Amino acid sequence: MMKTIETPISEVVAVELAVGEMLELTGCIFTGRDAVLPKLVEMIESGTLEQHGIDLRGSVIFHTAVSPAGVGPTSSNKFDIESTIPVLSKAGVKIHLGKGRLSDATIRALQEHNSVYAVIPPVSALLESKIVEKRVVAFPEEGMEAFHMLRVDGFPCIVAVAHGRTLYEL
Amino acid sequence: MNELELKVKETLIRASTVFSEDKKAVIRKAIETELNPNAKWVLETILENAETAENTLRPTCDDTGIPHLFIEMGGGKSVSADMLCSIQQGVVEGMRALPCRPMAVKGNEIQRLEQSIGLYDDPGALALAPIRMKMVDEDVLRLYVLMQGGGPEIRGKTYRVFHQHNLSVIVDEIVSWAVEGAGLLGCTPCVPAIGIGRTHFEASALMIEAMAYGRFDVQNEIEQEITERVNQSNIGPLGLKGNTTALATFLRVGPQRASGVRIVCLRLCCCVEPRVACALI
Repeated sequence: MMKTIETPISEVVAVELAVGEMLELTGCIFTGRDAVLPKLVEMIESGTLEQHGIDLRGSVIFHTAVSPAGVGPTSSNKFDIESTIPVLSKAGVKIHLGKGRLSDATIRALQEHNSVYAVIPPVSALLESKIVEKRVVAFPEEGMEAFHMLRVDGFPCIVAVAHGRTLYEL
Repeated sequence: MNELELKVKETLIRASTVFSEDKKAVIRKAIETELNPNAKWVLETILENAETAENTLRPTCDDTGIPHLFIEMGGGKSVSADMLCSIQQGVVEGMRALPCRPMAVKGNEIQRLEQSIGLYDDPGALALAPIRMKMVDEDVLRLYVLMQGGGPEIRGKTYRVFHQHNLSVIVDEIVSWAVEGAGLLGCTPCVPAIGIGRTHFEASALMIEAMAYGRFDVQNEIEQEITERVNQSNIGPLGLKGNTTALATFLRVGPQRASGVRIVCLRLCCCVEPRVACALI
């Protein structure tokens, strides 16, 4: 049974997300991976995020590049990605979308900020058919690793970490 | 574009967009037998992606991979320098037409190592890996195009095994590497592709052969044993548990050294791999 989730995601919706739930994400989502997420964290910590017109409250960040070949999850447990999850969650990101197992420390940080982690299969052709719009939001110099916004219609994913529980340990 | 360039271009696109029928069949069978609902959903989504990719000629994965070529040559057939140029140009045209992910790294040795001055925008700028050629007992010139993604490279391993004149020692080691890698790969179910030879170079070349020749519906006893033991790990598709951690195993055993050591190359192909297609040229 798929549950449709539209962005932005409220605190109430986030608190009801459960491990093992299959979701279809609709609306605007952000993308970022190794190159750009640490820079985003620097902007948050220096208080310059709003100057760049970026509002992460209720958002989804998909750990992917955006290239003419499409999008697809990279491993979320790479240091440059996983280490950003606590700060991004505190800044309002509600769903971190990627693949791979996360550490216990990251699971606790997600719980603390009412954020969840969902995994998405590496199904680039299928995902491409569900992207309505894409544009660069920040760091265009990073090319395919720039901070992008995608408007999507029904991205499939499954909640793997939520509120201290994880699908990997069930 | 000449005829050979066009044929190579089309072969690269086919490798990147089409699942073989034997692979689709083994996924359908896994969907039928998989008891874990999350695993079943992932497998169904992977199959839906394959159908979409084939129908739209879009890449199955956004990491479109590094092009590797394997040429079989025999009888009166040979490859000239002109043909190699056309083959190389066909790869470039294929990468542009697909399009592949533009991921050729700019710069000199240090800049490339540090990836400090960025990437080329041209998907065709990606350099070919060294070409593998093999003499065969056929009057044929056959080209295999393989597109090798990054995840399986991270989880791959080429190393020595002290075999103690016992096959089970080698198989135990391969299963141990494969289970460790599958847990970290993310994009399971995997296909362990294995070459066993006398040197690291030879084992890697045999691994490429294993990917080129491997069939999901033709598995020898060693391949079956490795697949079954990896599937006992309960890692499952996308690491979400279940019985389908590996779809099959592709193994090639080459000549062996008169020694207590075997060189094993394991590439843990992800769920869209092997991305391979072949053409007579």
